Amino acid sequence: MSTPIQPQNQTPIKTSTAQPAQQPTVIAVRKRCDANGVGLSHFILMDRKPAK
Amino acid sequence: MSGCFPPSLAVTPSSGRYSNTGTGPALLPIDIGHANYMALTDPATAFWALVRKDRLAEALTGGPLLDSYRERSADFARELHGLRFELKPSAVYVNPTERCNLNCTYCYIPEDMRRSGEHMAADRLIEALDRLKAYFATTMPAGRKPHIIFHGAEPLMNRDAVFAAIDAFGDDYVFGMQTNATMLDEEAIHFLTGHHVSIGLSLDGPLAEITNATRHTWAGKSIHDKVLMAMERLRGYDAWSVIATCTAKNLDQLVALVNLFHARGVPTCMLNAVRCTLPRARTVRPEDDALATHFIAAVERSHELYRETGRKLVVANFANILLAIMAPTARRLMCDISPCGGGRAFFALAPDGGLFPCSEFIGLDAFNGGNLFQDSIESALASANFAKVIGRDVDCFAPCSGCAIRHFCGAPCPAEAHEMNGGMDRVGAFCGFYEEQVRYALRLIADGKADDFLWDGWDEGVETTFDMTVAGPF
Repeated sequence: MSTPIQPQNQTPIKTSTAQPAQQPTVIAVRKRCDANGVGLSHFILMDRKPAK
Repeated sequence: MSGCFPPSLAVTPSSGRYSNTGTGPALLPIDIGHANYMALTDPATAFWALVRKDRLAEALTGGPLLDSYRERSADFARELHGLRFELKPSAVYVNPTERCNLNCTYCYIPEDMRRSGEHMAADRLIEALDRLKAYFATTMPAGRKPHIIFHGAEPLMNRDAVFAAIDAFGDDYVFGMQTNATMLDEEAIHFLTGHHVSIGLSLDGPLAEITNATRHTWAGKSIHDKVLMAMERLRGYDAWSVIATCTAKNLDQLVALVNLFHARGVPTCMLNAVRCTLPRARTVRPEDDALATHFIAAVERSHELYRETGRKLVVANFANILLAIMAPTARRLMCDISPCGGGRAFFALAPDGGLFPCSEFIGLDAFNGGNLFQDSIESALASANFAKVIGRDVDCFAPCSGCAIRHFCGAPCPAEAHEMNGGMDRVGAFCGFYEEQVRYALRLIADGKADDFLWDGWDEGVETTFDMTVAGPF
């Protein structure tokens, strides 16, 4: 059984690209998750749902 | 927290009150080429902050940024240490054949192997996956499947064996395949997509004459149109990607290549700097500055197309640099980290059963850690030949050890450093290119655009551990 072919989205992005009136003085963000990356420069696993 | 300096020697009895002295936060300023912001990083923890240029002195002399970072720095150091030194393999790059029907300029598999090498017989491949399954049963967390990626040489040269293995182990592994696409016919695509195999193709140019410069048959014939045909067949499938190798032959075509990929519905691509492991590849090595200029132009073009159409073409190797900065443990690619993922997050299996830290080392006997059919996987992972790669630590050699962005880049690749630059304690092939990528990534973060360059849903299951956006004075 083949994976269904999905329609391609062609909707332009409407959100503004303008800079906010006052840029923050400081921006510092860090996020974390379980590390499970296995790709390398010869291949990247493309599975939109993480392999569990 | 690296392997170079034991913690007992790294700690000195200071109050930790001041930045950049004693045990105070070590925050190095970086010019990122932004009109308003500088970056500060603590290279030891891969922590970063963007600070308005006119407030930099204030940020370094006390206030909420230093206070908050001081509280969390030990956690970040532990997190980075876990990522760098405590992973267990969860993927194997399996080369089911030594042969390839192409003779690409930059291939890292030795020519005699590709021209007249051996296939792995179907029963041997089944046995290999059975042995790997037994190993992963002892190491993988419950509920997670290991990955098997069929790689090359060209895996579809040994198609029957590969398909038999996928059929036999469909419930045990998540499968992927990197192929040159010349044998990716309708039947093969039906089989692979039906088993939800992640498929990677390769194409180096928007026009045949560009692709032909680096990718062609042994007789010099073009394969460009065959790859385009395979891309057309894959349009709409959700698990495919295309790799373009950036060389001196196609730099000025990268923007056009992004246009082609987007027009043909490619969801993800990689624009990889050519790996310079073997001498022939170095004949098409681009200069760092030129590569950075054309690469960033191509990434910018992918963003323009997203804004125009609402559909992303993610440039995965650049997205990975963004992730290395924003969420180090969320990296999908394990080249741009030190030690790299070779022999840690994954390893490679050659057709004769040889075990190597990464496909890049197949053909280099000095990195063979054993044989799957004769030795235990544990002994290969612990072998002296794997240790050469696993032990390459950017904290331990100059100039990387003094670089403020060393844990965003990782100084890839060990194979290049060893073969081209003369040792594992040398920089990789494209130091300047990585500098420019990191500076560009930090500019995008400063401008609030980073998410546009990442996969939709990339942060599902990801927790925020530090979030400081200061609008006004400290």
